Amino acid sequence: MRRAATNPGTDKYTQHQLIEDWPADRLEAGVPLAPTLPGKAPLIEIRAIKKAFGARRILRGIDADIYKGETFVILGGSGSGKTTLIKHLMAMLTPDSGTVAIDGQDMARFTPEQLAAYRRRMGVVFQNAALLNSLTVLENVGLPLIEVDHCPPDEVQTRVTEALRQVFLPADEILHLKPASLSGGMRKRVGIARAIIQRPEIILYDEPTTGLDPVTVSGVNELTLELQKTMGVTSIVITHDLDAAFTIADRIAVLYKGRFIALGDKEQIRTNPHPVLRQLLTGSTRGPLTEGYLAPAAAASPVPVGVMPRPATESSTTSGNRP
Amino acid sequence: MSVLAATGRAIITRSAVTGRAILLLVHGLLALRHVRRSIPQVIRHLDMAGYGSILVLSLIAGLTGMIMAVQTGSELQRFGVLDNLGAIIGATFCREMGPIWAAVIVLARVGASMAAELGTMAVNEEVDALRVMSIDPVRYLVMPRLLALMIVMPLLTTIADVVGIAGGALITKSMFGQPIQVFMDSAQGLLQGLDFYSGLAKSWVFALIIGTIACDQGLATQNGAEGVGRSTTTTVVLSVVFVLLADLVMTSFIQIVVKPLVT
Repeated sequence: MRRAATNPGTDKYTQHQLIEDWPADRLEAGVPLAPTLPGKAPLIEIRAIKKAFGARRILRGIDADIYKGETFVILGGSGSGKTTLIKHLMAMLTPDSGTVAIDGQDMARFTPEQLAAYRRRMGVVFQNAALLNSLTVLENVGLPLIEVDHCPPDEVQTRVTEALRQVFLPADEILHLKPASLSGGMRKRVGIARAIIQRPEIILYDEPTTGLDPVTVSGVNELTLELQKTMGVTSIVITHDLDAAFTIADRIAVLYKGRFIALGDKEQIRTNPHPVLRQLLTGSTRGPLTEGYLAPAAAASPVPVGVMPRPATESSTTSGNRP
Repeated sequence: MSVLAATGRAIITRSAVTGRAILLLVHGLLALRHVRRSIPQVIRHLDMAGYGSILVLSLIAGLTGMIMAVQTGSELQRFGVLDNLGAIIGATFCREMGPIWAAVIVLARVGASMAAELGTMAVNEEVDALRVMSIDPVRYLVMPRLLALMIVMPLLTTIADVVGIAGGALITKSMFGQPIQVFMDSAQGLLQGLDFYSGLAKSWVFALIIGTIACDQGLATQNGAEGVGRSTTTTVVLSVVFVLLADLVMTSFIQIVVKPLVT
């Protein structure tokens, strides 16, 4: 049940306030929110973007710069606006206000040719790989080469084989299989192979480790790092997997209810006192993330939030992922 | 106020969906200029839509021809005008039953399957994946399906005409003892080229209607498996309504405008 803010005049967060009642300046109070790195030219600039679908406000003002060659992880729980944000970066949605720019050019003002050129620079790894079930692995991975670059069949096969080897898949064995014959981990790797087949500068990963077993998760994380090292790509990863985030990230932004509540390197995020972030990192069932959702018994003696920043290693009521 | 608002909202929503579908059809037809790049997909859909429909359509058309022969033949025999049975069954099939049965089979078998397939692709982000690879989903997914239906429907209609008339002739021979030659002469005596070609023209329009509705509903699918089910059902319902509506308009046009010009 939604409750009104009770003490707007104090600097302390209270258990009686829902996070959406907190004004933006208080959301960030005491939190080092560092959207830009001084002295570096950003590749992608996100400025004050807001997006609503009908009455639902999904993004409520996002600012960030993403730099060439870095792995930028956007961390957030379900419904925080991660997918909407990444769709803006794919130029599949335009913001209601604010801008998303690459090399200083506003994506909302792209001509069809500029949009195609931008997408040519970008590869996307979708949450469930998004492979076309009617096509073989060869046709799936080679799809942009066949349909966009109009490469001859021999070149397609050579480059697909090379891409599959880059993601540590036995190309000869799986080239002519349909996606339904592959395991979840293999499908994800085939999706990554498709994303890198055109040698992109930017790779967007949408929940790359969701639904995979721990060994495959480690494999995908290593692969992400390997691709950044060998291809020098800029990686933008959205995830709710803390282990993955802290393994691969150069910088992490934490998204909560359509706003970044923290942004910085791994250490800055680990030590950030924001109550939402603390709850996310500790995996606790008590705190602002679950306020209003808990059964009365569980909510009877809530741990005060905002006044109790706990270290990431502190014990919690669940055994969720921890950095 | 609320009734007025709800009516207004419903009109706006349906107008938006109709506009979207018409734009999709135009975009799909314009994409035909890239047909050479989509030949493998067209062949796949020809196989699925055409070859897979022949048996069930033949069965239904044949049975319908036989039933018509039994029903109508008994009455005609009573009045001693059984000789006209070939003309009645021939005209019914070439003008109406052939294209309508072909449309019903195609929309139930192929239209529903197209909506479900595209709907599943939409909810699994496969359509988004095509877009971010700069592959136009209309060119890659919609145009081959539309073209396959435009090729297949007239062929299926012809098959339905032939099998339906053959079924009628068979029953006329076996039940009423009338020679097949008499049945065929009767049919040829009444039928004109216009009857056959108008049926083919109708089937071509039905192909566009079914293909457009199926692809539009499929691509607009949201909300997972439930959404796929809804798109499939909507495709079948809308296709039946619009096929019959188009049939009424075209039949009226042919009878009132075209036929006097030809005869």
